[in-house]
Amino acid sequence: MKAVPTDPRLREPTWTAASPGRAHRLRVRLLTALAIPLALFYFAWLLTPGRIGHPVLYALLVAAELFNLAQAAGFWWTCARERSRRPCALHGASERPEVDVFVPVYDEPADVVEPTIAAARELRGARVSVWLLDDGGREEMRALAARRGARYVARSERSGAKAGNINNALRRSRAPYVVVLDCDHVPAPDMLEATLGHLAAEDMAFVQTPQYYANAGVNALAGAAWSQQALFFGAIARGKDGHDAMFCCGTNVVFRRAALEDAGGFPEGSLTEDFELSVKLHARGWRSAYVPRVVARGLGPEDMASYVGQQHRWARGCLGSIGAVLRGDLPLRLRLQYLLSCSYFLTGWTILVYMSFPVIRILTGAQPLAAAGADQFLMHFAPYFALALYMVALMGSGAYTFRAFALQAASFWIHVHASLAVLLRRPGSFKVTPKRGASGRQPRAVLPGLAAITVLVAAAMYGLLRAQDPGTLNNAAFALVHVTVLAAGIAPALRGAGPAAAVAADERTEALRRAA
Amino acid sequence: MTSATGTLTAPRRAAPRPLRTLAGEQIAVASGQLAAGVGNLVFSLVAARLLAPGAFADLAAFLALYLVIHVPTASLSAGSALRPALADRARRRVAGAGLGAGALIAAAALPASAALHVPFAMLLALAAAAPAAGLLALERGRLYGLGRTRRAAASLAIEPAVRLSAGVALGALAGPAGAAAGVVLAGYAALAVAHACGDAPASGTAAAPAAGGAATGATVLAFLGLALVQNQDVLVANAQLPAAEAGRFAVLSTLGGVAAFATTTVPLMLLPRASAGERRALPAALGVAGALGVAAALVVAADPGALVAAVFGDRYADVASLAVPYVIAMALLGVARVLIAHACATGAARAALGVLAATVVGHLVLLLVMGDTAAGVAHATLLATTGLTAGAGGAAVVRLPSVRGALGPRPAPVALTLAVCVAVGLVLRVLATRGLWLDEATSVQQAQLPFGRMLDELRTTDVHPPLHHAVLWVTVRLIGTSEFAVRLPSLIAMTALIPVLYAAGRELYDRRTGLAAAALATVAPFTVWYADEARMYGFFMLFGTLALWMQVRAIRTGRTRDFLLWAAAAAAMIWTQYFAVLFVGAQAIAYVAAIARPGVDRDARRSLAVRAAGAAALVALAVAPLVPFALHQFEVNQAAGRGFGSSVPSQAGATASQNEGLAQPSIYAAITNALWAVLGYHSDRTMTALAAVWPLAMLGALALLGRGRSHVTQLLVLCALVPMAGLFAVGQLKPFVFEVRYFSAAVPIALLLIARAATGWTRRALPAVAVVGALVALLGLGEADQQLNSSNPRQFDFRGAVEQIHKRAGPHDVVVLSPPYVDSVVAYYGDGLRLRSAERGVPKPTAHRHVFVLGSFFDKPQYAALTRKSVRQLRRDGRQVAAFHRPQIRVWEFAR
Repeated sequence: MKAVPTDPRLREPTWTAASPGRAHRLRVRLLTALAIPLALFYFAWLLTPGRIGHPVLYALLVAAELFNLAQAAGFWWTCARERSRRPCALHGASERPEVDVFVPVYDEPADVVEPTIAAARELRGARVSVWLLDDGGREEMRALAARRGARYVARSERSGAKAGNINNALRRSRAPYVVVLDCDHVPAPDMLEATLGHLAAEDMAFVQTPQYYANAGVNALAGAAWSQQALFFGAIARGKDGHDAMFCCGTNVVFRRAALEDAGGFPEGSLTEDFELSVKLHARGWRSAYVPRVVARGLGPEDMASYVGQQHRWARGCLGSIGAVLRGDLPLRLRLQYLLSCSYFLTGWTILVYMSFPVIRILTGAQPLAAAGADQFLMHFAPYFALALYMVALMGSGAYTFRAFALQAASFWIHVHASLAVLLRRPGSFKVTPKRGASGRQPRAVLPGLAAITVLVAAAMYGLLRAQDPGTLNNAAFALVHVTVLAAGIAPALRGAGPAAAVAADERTEALRRAA
Repeated sequence: MTSATGTLTAPRRAAPRPLRTLAGEQIAVASGQLAAGVGNLVFSLVAARLLAPGAFADLAAFLALYLVIHVPTASLSAGSALRPALADRARRRVAGAGLGAGALIAAAALPASAALHVPFAMLLALAAAAPAAGLLALERGRLYGLGRTRRAAASLAIEPAVRLSAGVALGALAGPAGAAAGVVLAGYAALAVAHACGDAPASGTAAAPAAGGAATGATVLAFLGLALVQNQDVLVANAQLPAAEAGRFAVLSTLGGVAAFATTTVPLMLLPRASAGERRALPAALGVAGALGVAAALVVAADPGALVAAVFGDRYADVASLAVPYVIAMALLGVARVLIAHACATGAARAALGVLAATVVGHLVLLLVMGDTAAGVAHATLLATTGLTAGAGGAAVVRLPSVRGALGPRPAPVALTLAVCVAVGLVLRVLATRGLWLDEATSVQQAQLPFGRMLDELRTTDVHPPLHHAVLWVTVRLIGTSEFAVRLPSLIAMTALIPVLYAAGRELYDRRTGLAAAALATVAPFTVWYADEARMYGFFMLFGTLALWMQVRAIRTGRTRDFLLWAAAAAAMIWTQYFAVLFVGAQAIAYVAAIARPGVDRDARRSLAVRAAGAAALVALAVAPLVPFALHQFEVNQAAGRGFGSSVPSQAGATASQNEGLAQPSIYAAITNALWAVLGYHSDRTMTALAAVWPLAMLGALALLGRGRSHVTQLLVLCALVPMAGLFAVGQLKPFVFEVRYFSAAVPIALLLIARAATGWTRRALPAVAVVGALVALLGLGEADQQLNSSNPRQFDFRGAVEQIHKRAGPHDVVVLSPPYVDSVVAYYGDGLRLRSAERGVPKPTAHRHVFVLGSFFDKPQYAALTRKSVRQLRRDGRQVAAFHRPQIRVWEFAR
């Protein structure tokens, strides 16, 4: 019997990013065609002037609903044009191409980095040089590089964070193709055989592949975080590729050096250097591709603090890139795609708005809608909501779970905080997502969520003690829905990542020790 | 086969004997038993003529006591039948115990004589009989075990022969004491005949493998339990009922005793044969027990009134309507005894004891709850024996090799859980009773017509297909028109739904889902409500579930048999309720989807298409005769302004489902119907509050994210939603059709989906059990509110209102009905009352005539106004002397 490796990154992936097929795409398109009239039906009803209850609340509701409609419509539009590329090796070249594989590290443990370096050395289909780009300047890393036959580069001046680190390596290397791998992402031997062929077109700047979290089974948080990734690297990424709008995600990506040089390397002033680089490349006429095949297996956040840090960085980076997107010389389709991706990180505002409605209704009696019974509201809203939800389930092929949704909803404050920080131009710093989960409880990481739950519960109890009329019950039920979703989202932080995460990390170390 | 202790001999297995031979043996012994019964009856009749009334009463008391010591000892027969060698070993001990009991009776005879008002001599005779009782049971059991059928029959027959000869002679000489001595002598004669027989088995009989002591003990215990089920109703009736009522039940008990007595020997004969592995022994025994039971029921059903009057006198004539149900109860007990005996003989004694224990307890609870009349006691026993037969039958089915394989490695806990669910469900459905509702009374009225006229009536005045009415027609003729009788078909259907849902859940998903669905169906308010309604909705749910189960089986197995079963269930469903075509239509879509799904090879696709098309054609063929019937109903009713355009409300409690005064169904109506389907009927206030928390449904929808979409779940959702959506659409034109009753086949589907959601989210058993337990508790809460809250707008207590009128009304009084169409249900309860429609105006009260106004349906403005008008008029014409109200009904009484 075949032994199962203890390091999850060395196990076969249990997920596929490839499209389920033509029937799936047809179904998506048919449902999209159905969703549009349903959305119009709801918004035509909602936007009738007679519906205005409390004007401010109504305006907030309409803004939130329109924003969500834009996100939903963007999602349907993206997915309806999906492209599912097949792996493609580089053919026709007289000799195997040269590829530089960059593995930037900062403070990650050696047991996380070593399998990545070892696997990168085994890549087939090219003459590979592996570069360990150590911004931590640790002897341990130097020894690791020596042990595994990789080149070791350390900087004296560590400006530009990860982008600066890669740019420094770009200046020292010369292969026509560059692979960027986060240090926890163990590449499969056929990574280059699956991707290099797509770079045959001269205007192709990079080929992105999925960022697969092999540790999804470690605990609930890792699972939920992966679930969110699966929706993106499945339906959304395939759709973006269909629109020629796939952006670089910072790892598991193969670049054409010429494109990188044309863009002046990775932008060093951004928290999401990969995203801004993509904007720049697309604006300069370069194209991108997405190969929906897991060719590298990495580690996602295993505890709430790591997840919050990662999401916060992404939110600030993407929201901060809106200006670049608007300024960039991009075709309309690409501009819209980028704006959709950037503005996703404003979703937290809509959740905040929705959560505030039952509280305000219970405490003050004010509500956004007037002259509309629940019956009418449901008649117009329920079909749109149900179909939108079904489409998420369908397009995510079941990978997007309630836990993922709850985790996203419980992260509402991250979006709010990040957008305010961007608006106020507060400086941000690049923080590497920890590759090892903390095993204890992290209530501080979810304090805003806990505060929201407290307010909702208190309002609902106050309302129910004061009156039990259908209106109060309805708003108390809404509050309960929010409380349940938030509680499910923050539960992993309060339960603690559990010993599983720590054990998994220890197992990785032990496996490495044995291998050595 | 060898072991450390030496060579073991495998039990000898004779060649399997034909069914006819086995049945012949059973019939021979049962004939002896019947002869003994008839002989003993003749002895009693002769003694009644021979002795003075007081002396005969003394003899009757002796015979009752004689029976008391023989009934428990009879369970020894079971032990020795299973293990003939036991008779040799236990003979001395049993004799000793008998002698001891005899001595005890003799010693206590003097004080007992005074206490029991039984002559001292009689008690001495009883003491003399005691040593023979146990021995006789032991020896007869041995004869059954050895296959000595002739000897057993002789032993049975000799007893009445000696009673009729020596007993009659001694009775003539020495009065009742002599007759009693004759009875005792007869017992010893029977013992002598039974004992004077070697230990060699009869030729051709398979020797039963020596059963273990534990198995034998369990068998004896099981037969004691059966004796309890047979006799505890008499004990409770005597203790609980007034003398006259107890006497009425004694009559029933005697009649039922005939059926029970006739089948006594059948399970005893079965024990050794089943133990020896004779596979045909069970069908033979079931056939004989069933035939004897049916024969007894038919004899009584032929003319129960005349039979009771002839045997017991005219004063007991009014128990005639209960005679058939009670004889059926005892006939079922005969069948259950066979099943229990088979379980004991084949190593399933524990399961049998479990079912029996549940029945004994359940029976006792039912007797205590329902046993305030002879009818209540009889119905309690009928329920208990039905449950026992169903439980024992279910356990027997589970033990069938094919079913056992399908159940998986741990069938016993599943069977036990199911048996508990069925028992609890049955008890709940019986206890959760209420008075008849309008539609039920109409159905009962229709079912009392000759069959042709009933069909004609349905064709011209009703809107439903005739299957349920046909069943009701038969039921009314078999067991009468009592509330219990007319609801029995629904009760059976809704109780059967529990195991059927288990089977469907297991087939569709897994065993865990099946059990959860069965547990939910046990207490689900909707299923309990329609188990207690003499209408077609119970059938609709049962046939719908069967159709769903069979369709999935058919698609999975591709077997013709499953397609045929699906066609039968689907056709039955349409013959039960026209709107079932929507359900069957959804199933047709499912067939198409199954045929068209990718990954199926061409041959399999073609085979599935051919079979599905064939089955659909069969359904069409079966339903074809219904088409002209339905068209005629539609035309006639439309022309007459009834039926689809009727002003008679087809639903009560619609207020909660309407919103903002809309006549057409709205989303709120859909929510309310969904709540009714799962949580049952509640007061308008509760329903409004429940509907207001609809946002929780959003949570439910979100929770489904990432749960996968199996084909089975899609089929279930399709079958639940298509009829609902179809009726919602039709409801925009004909609002009253959008009502959960008309798509009630979706209710078991909803339970299945809930069960799946409750068990599918985790692999661990404990959390799943906890969630299912919480859901069962929630449904139980809904059930309690549905049944007990008099604000439930579907609770119409016509029974209570009419009973109260009956107490106050004289022969010349008039009851004015508003609305007039409640006449059928008032007539059902108010036999002899003079009824009058309020639309015809109100009569003036006179010195000899009080006028009652019975008003209901106050949510309908026209009837509320009619009632107000009638009451105002009577207040002008007379004076109000009383007013009272029952749920949804108000009554005013006026005098001059």
